[in-house]
Amino acid sequence: MSPYWGANFFEFFYILIVRIAHWNFSTLATDEVQIGVLGAVAVSCALLGPFLVLKRMAMFANSLSHTILLGIAGAVLLLGGTAMFDLSHLLLGALIAAIATAFFTEGLIKVFRLQEDASIGLVFTSLFALGIVLVTLYTRDLHLGIESVMGNADALMPSDLRLAATLMLINGCAIFLFFRHFQLASFDKSLAQTLGLRGGLFHFLLLFLAAATCIGAFRAVGVLLVLAFLVGPYLTARLFCHRLKYLLLWSALLGIGASLFGVALARHLLSVYDLPLSTGGIVACSIGLFYLIALAIRKIYLFTLARRCAIVNGA
Amino acid sequence: MNLFDFFTDPVLRAPTWGTLLMCIASSLMGVLLFLKKRTLLAESLSHATYPGVVIGVSLFALLFPHHEEKSFIAVLLGAFLSSLAALKAIEWLQSKGKVSSDAALCFILSLFFGAGIVASSAMQSSLPTWHKQIQMLLFGQAATMTDLHIALYGSLAFAISLFLALLFRPLQGALFDRDYAASTGIRVALLERIVFWLLLLSIIVGIRSVGVVLISGMVIAPAVAARQWTDQLKPMFFFAAFFGCLSGLVGNILSVQGSIFLSTETEKMILPTGPMIVLVGAAIALLSLLFAPKRGLLFRLFRIGAFHLRCLEENLLKGIWKKGPLTFENLRQTFRIPPFPLYFALQRLLREGWLMRDQKTYSLTLDGSQKASSIVRLHRLWELYLAETLKLQVEKVHKTAEEMEHILTPDIEERLTRLLSNPKQDPHQQPIPQRPQPL
Repeated sequence: MSPYWGANFFEFFYILIVRIAHWNFSTLATDEVQIGVLGAVAVSCALLGPFLVLKRMAMFANSLSHTILLGIAGAVLLLGGTAMFDLSHLLLGALIAAIATAFFTEGLIKVFRLQEDASIGLVFTSLFALGIVLVTLYTRDLHLGIESVMGNADALMPSDLRLAATLMLINGCAIFLFFRHFQLASFDKSLAQTLGLRGGLFHFLLLFLAAATCIGAFRAVGVLLVLAFLVGPYLTARLFCHRLKYLLLWSALLGIGASLFGVALARHLLSVYDLPLSTGGIVACSIGLFYLIALAIRKIYLFTLARRCAIVNGA
Repeated sequence: MNLFDFFTDPVLRAPTWGTLLMCIASSLMGVLLFLKKRTLLAESLSHATYPGVVIGVSLFALLFPHHEEKSFIAVLLGAFLSSLAALKAIEWLQSKGKVSSDAALCFILSLFFGAGIVASSAMQSSLPTWHKQIQMLLFGQAATMTDLHIALYGSLAFAISLFLALLFRPLQGALFDRDYAASTGIRVALLERIVFWLLLLSIIVGIRSVGVVLISGMVIAPAVAARQWTDQLKPMFFFAAFFGCLSGLVGNILSVQGSIFLSTETEKMILPTGPMIVLVGAAIALLSLLFAPKRGLLFRLFRIGAFHLRCLEENLLKGIWKKGPLTFENLRQTFRIPPFPLYFALQRLLREGWLMRDQKTYSLTLDGSQKASSIVRLHRLWELYLAETLKLQVEKVHKTAEEMEHILTPDIEERLTRLLSNPKQDPHQQPIPQRPQPL
């Protein structure tokens, strides 16, 4: 029996705080696993998202998040087993997905001289279609294809939490170690080249990390909602913050906030209205909601600022 | 079961005709998006149809619970409205929110799809049978279409084609030169709005068979393939429609036959139609990228190879012209190239009658000597032009001249000669051979 059973929105946070204060986590409740996994995914994404958006690679991330299905299928074929939970599968899958996507897309652009948007689109739609067909044939289960785009946060297990946390650690280390490099590569490519930075290497590292993050988020939120985590918090933070370091921090905080809010809201809707809704979807919607709220606050702030200026000028 | 049955059999004909017509609609609009370099817009808009579809069908189910076969009206309407909202949101983010286009596309895509997932999960518990229908739209399922669907989707596809045909002239103008088109009195803004509406229409028509997730593949792949075969807009539309049809037809047949092949007595397997159609479309695009004349990779490589061979031949003629008759070994050492291409080039030169072989040495024929001297003439003219007219340093001119001598046309040579007033010496004080007199 979950300790959150029947709790509404505010009771949820109260129970969570009490449980944290007593450090009473001998058995993790589903809601806590969800918060943990989604929070870890949010932090992973917040660390990568800003760089991806700055490098104008958001749609490339979309492409990666589709091709990971093929990566997973490849990893399962190579390593055997059907478990998608363990780290070696994940990293190998991410490597396959990142290499395949980058190789084919760049190949279409450079060798076949196809324009960039069409190259990205052609590669990920066909690789995703291939992935779906392979997975369907291999598992003889049609539902897997649907679950891969929808995600299923309600079927998360404590092992997913460990995986998501490991992934967060890997991303955190990579960004911490190479922050300057990533920063330079995303703002001023030519300066980075002049300074002898291996641009291609960091570009690929970013792709690899993005693919790994997408795979890590795959079971919780599916291939599409992870994009909300990658792009949304950064766009929100950008409304009120303009330094890259703080942007990363704010994106992470907003992502965690949205996860907490979303999980609590899902619980609230279940307890009060008896409405079982997809937690991943609600968290994605909360990210959108946060953006709108930030936008509204910014509008009001700018409006009052303008009025104050007008008064000062008038007087 | 032969191919003909797919068009006439009462059960099979609806999926076949349905996919054909849907793929025509999306491929035609894909051409416009491709030329505008905005194909990824289709990806965002198609995912954005999902919440509309779910909410539309839910409302329909609550209002008319006994008319399940007509629910596609709700699908179309809901999809249209929500993708229209997504389009507006993307435009707003890009213009007012100052978000780069890729981030805006990505953000809206995931938000709308998230909303769709929430709505769909609400439906799962309250309207389970209807929910199954919705899930089918994710990857498309042509097999369950009826003749009613053909009529509706067919007329929509027809309407899209008709619009494109009627608006072809102004559309062409607006596509390639917006300002000029506007100045000739075409209402470009209105036209663009119509195009976007048609795009939404073609996407929502396509999701029934290809699915929400993969319809963007059917927008992109036929256009990519069509672009390889032609340089003109009108043929490109026809090519795209043809490739779209072909992938729809083959993909549908593969999906039907594959499902039959995979199903066993005990369990029924359904290969979703969408991925199969997209795979066929991508295969067509890849083949076109490889083998299309003029723009295909193979022909481009062939052209590059032919050009290199011509350069090598001309360099050989020039070398023999300067140094006198040379043996195969001499040539190899002078030009430092592997023996096979050298042999090949020499054979060609012998056959063309520019070289003759006397035991082991190769020497120029009269024709060959004229050809060689004209190449040297081009080389030295260009050197002189660079040094005299463009004031480049004399030491630097040789390298570009080495390339230009293979490219300069007789017309340019004529003009250079006049510009430099028929010079006799190049900047290195070497004589410039005169233009050979016709024999």
